[in-house]
Amino acid sequence: MTNHWIDIKNADCIMIIGSNAAENHPISFRWVTKAMDNGAKLISVDPRFTRTSARADIYAPMRSGADIAFIDGIMNYVIENNLYNKDYLVDHTNASFLVDEGFAFDDGLFTGYDKAKRMYAKDTWRYQLDADGNPKKDPTLQDPRCVFQLLKNHLSRYTPEKVSSITGCPSELIVEVAKTYGATGAKDKSGTIMYAMGTTQHTVGTQNVRTYAMLQLLLGNVGVAGGGINALRGESNVQGSTDHAILFHILSGYLKTPRVEDQTLAQYLEHWTPKSNDPKSANWWQHTPKYMVSLLKAYWRDKAQKDNEFCYQYLPKLSANCDHIAMFEAMYDGVIKGLICMGQNPAVGGPNVLKEKKALESLDWLVAADLWETETAGFWAEPGADSNEIKTEVFMLPAAASMEKEGSITNSGRWMQWRYMAVHPPGDAKTDLWILDQICKELKKLYQSEGGAFPDPIVHLHWNYGEGREEPDVHLVAKEINGYDLTTGQLVPSFAGLKDDGTTSSGNWLYCASYTEKGNMAARRGLEDAPNKIGLYPGWAWCWPVNRRIIYNRASCDLQGNPYAPHKWVVKWTGPETKWAGDVPDGGWPPGDKYSFIMKPEGHARLFGFGLADGPFPEHYEPLEAPVKNAMSSQQLNPVIKIWTGEMDDVGTVDKFPIIATTYRVTEHWQAGQMTRNNPWLVELMPDMFVEMSKSLAQAKGVKNGDRVRVSTARGHIVAYAVVTNRFKPFRLNGRAYEQIGLPWHFGFKGLAKGDSANSLTPHVGDANTNIPEYKAFLCDVVKEVG
Amino acid sequence: MAEKAILLDMEKCIACRACQVACKQWNELPGEKTTFFAAAGGYQNPIGLSPSTFTLVKFYEMEEQERIKWLFRVHRCMQCVDPACVKACPVTPKAMTHVKETGAIYVNRELCIGCGACREYCPFTIPVIDTEAGKSTKCTFCFDRMANGLEPACAKACPTDCLVFGDRDKILAMAHKAVDRLRKKGRRPAIYGEKELGTGTKKVLVLPEPLDYYPDVIKNPKVSEDLGLFHELLKPFGALTLTAALVGMVLGKVKEVKERKESLVSKTEEG
Repeated sequence: MTNHWIDIKNADCIMIIGSNAAENHPISFRWVTKAMDNGAKLISVDPRFTRTSARADIYAPMRSGADIAFIDGIMNYVIENNLYNKDYLVDHTNASFLVDEGFAFDDGLFTGYDKAKRMYAKDTWRYQLDADGNPKKDPTLQDPRCVFQLLKNHLSRYTPEKVSSITGCPSELIVEVAKTYGATGAKDKSGTIMYAMGTTQHTVGTQNVRTYAMLQLLLGNVGVAGGGINALRGESNVQGSTDHAILFHILSGYLKTPRVEDQTLAQYLEHWTPKSNDPKSANWWQHTPKYMVSLLKAYWRDKAQKDNEFCYQYLPKLSANCDHIAMFEAMYDGVIKGLICMGQNPAVGGPNVLKEKKALESLDWLVAADLWETETAGFWAEPGADSNEIKTEVFMLPAAASMEKEGSITNSGRWMQWRYMAVHPPGDAKTDLWILDQICKELKKLYQSEGGAFPDPIVHLHWNYGEGREEPDVHLVAKEINGYDLTTGQLVPSFAGLKDDGTTSSGNWLYCASYTEKGNMAARRGLEDAPNKIGLYPGWAWCWPVNRRIIYNRASCDLQGNPYAPHKWVVKWTGPETKWAGDVPDGGWPPGDKYSFIMKPEGHARLFGFGLADGPFPEHYEPLEAPVKNAMSSQQLNPVIKIWTGEMDDVGTVDKFPIIATTYRVTEHWQAGQMTRNNPWLVELMPDMFVEMSKSLAQAKGVKNGDRVRVSTARGHIVAYAVVTNRFKPFRLNGRAYEQIGLPWHFGFKGLAKGDSANSLTPHVGDANTNIPEYKAFLCDVVKEVG
Repeated sequence: MAEKAILLDMEKCIACRACQVACKQWNELPGEKTTFFAAAGGYQNPIGLSPSTFTLVKFYEMEEQERIKWLFRVHRCMQCVDPACVKACPVTPKAMTHVKETGAIYVNRELCIGCGACREYCPFTIPVIDTEAGKSTKCTFCFDRMANGLEPACAKACPTDCLVFGDRDKILAMAHKAVDRLRKKGRRPAIYGEKELGTGTKKVLVLPEPLDYYPDVIKNPKVSEDLGLFHELLKPFGALTLTAALVGMVLGKVKEVKERKESLVSKTEEG
């Protein structure tokens, strides 16, 4: 989130899209309700009328996989009807920047596309530069090559009628949403967009998020109270997991994993450190060398010295994607031999669970650390599996639950909150920290004594979380993450103190200032709000970066530092002595000295987003399995996604699978169900797997509420109870009616409550930028189950 | 302490069932064995109140002028201001306990004989007799939490402040403010529990739509006039000799008398 949970209460309009916040983030509705008590309007955009829609002022039905068309349509309306915040666009975004004459868009493709390689060469996706090497601008936004005019042109194709025909949402409703949300373009009004996996889990997921960011920029809603682009993360600590770089393509604090062409540290730093010739651009990523070297010092401490590139050569260099789908494809093909699975249950979470379970059979060994023996840990004993034929050696490590261990979790709002251990773990269950510490210590010992292909990175890994202790000291881990001044041994007070000369270490530059000589900031529980009284609570826990609660917050002011919305000001300039008041300013420079979007080398937020793999402007493409041809162009699919064509990767077409399908979560169950399907109170609420369908579909299939039905896709089938409801209705796409169904994905073959796994149905295909699987839009068929 | 109440501002409900589960947790009640969902129109489980379920969220799916509506209602003991269940309880001292300070009404299991009179005379037919244990069961208003300065478990768990605990006069004022808020949004709200039964109830529901939209809600709840006759017929039996079976017999007798009266009335009307 650019903002945070409590801040939602400050919004004048809330759009919940690609999210069912009432069901999956129920506590967020505390803040949504407070906003509504103050007159805020709630808009729910969803293929299905949910418990969120039940609270909404406007419910807009939209078929799964049409989000870009929908929001591009809203943006088109905003531009056509002058609802955008022009001053904000000129002062804070690249709307006025001129784009290379060679850049163009035609029939679904931008310039630079290589069809054979399925990728773009981005030579034309750039600004025109002046003599100083800075982007040329037209602050009147009239130049035909300025971003604003190019965007306006690109979006002009997304009329309400066209959008209605693609999304299945009536055009009057599209206009009503655009008018209502567009009203937050007023200087003193703000709108917030709450989104989740309904947005991200598509082959166009990243561009989906881009449309929200762009809409918010058009309306001046970024950096303000009650605004922002707010991802409702899917687990309580997944924000922590991405911050600490559990994903293959990043290092701590969103530094880049070295690629194979970054052969030396110097080459790596040259490649990834952005430059700017504009003295008004803070270009914060220019400090990359300080963060990278400090990270290397955290990993290898005294071994890492200037003369050995701070052990840069110990880091693996990427030559291919190693995302979840690629990993399981490699497992299936016998390339990956062993898997450590901690608190994850891919045998239910999928996607394409039938292939992923088969992939587990190819492993030599599997280590599963979890609270229960999950469907993944017990895959070899699934009813129907022949365990005699399965050679995988499985190690089950009982793990401690979150209240059985001390440490921090980072929520969607970037708040790092410290937790104490409330109860001891049962039996032999151990904390993840203990498990990892034991594995690392043992690996070091073995590599030290037995050698190996390249033992140095492990043998020399700096690893001291409490000598002579059974349980590692999690406070030492937190301090390591914060970082040290290695010359004094003191904790660094913030990332401003990090250096690239090897005198500082930091496990994660973003978390610098979270644990300092003043103490454990994440453990604070201060109940006093900041003077601006917008729910910042700066003394409660700690958030990154440097406890700044609303990022990009200088964009909430004009260039003199006066808030656009004085009644809900975030920061304001009070003068050269007392400087900025309110939230931690996003850069303490006086107003007008530096541009407000400091993380971009040009200091401006990007309406023209050339950093993405699939295009600088969002364009509608159909999901891999789509009911219709792309009405916007002849480019049916996202042009840069990887299409997997191995065994068990079959793709379905609309002639055999005419019904749109999506998956979702419910309040009553949690993820792959290990915890909730073993809790009698929750099992009482939702004991069985079900599928929701419209009354018309049920009638056509001879199905009544409570009947058993078979749902099948090109990859497999499941059986579930039918929930026949008026909350699904067929969508009119290009004049024809298409039905859609929805499936909760929480069920599996183990536990107190068992049921077929919805992810037996989903495909192995991922987003163009993040590779997140397309769980949310595919094709199926439904029949009444006989016998 | 003043008489307490809970506001149930149902437009704010997100049907998360935190109240349902918090109640079970506090009262240490087991989860029931269920299949699929108890009723069409939503995710209700279990099918009704029981010795294991003191509060239940109900779902109402409907359509109005092509707009989908999904209404939610929390169903449990209304904690009447002038409780018929207490009046009906035949044992001495009464098993159905009415706490003076807070108004909490709960079953004292040590005294309860499981006769079912409370259920018979409850205008909402709430108490469920646990036939195995021989005890009446229902929402306790978390009298034990209240006695320790805490709010009821359901109100504490509710994330959206749909459920709010407080003094009844303040809760009624909040209910009226909620009605204003809902009218401004174009809804047609009804308060349920302010004037019902004359003196009202301590659970005050604000429903965003008229009562007709909730077909299982009793429109004009009334306490049966037979309560007097019931106690008359019990008089000959010493209070200490009362058993569930005995009381059951008396209730049967009351029913007989009532049916005879009604058939006489209808005969008179015919004739």
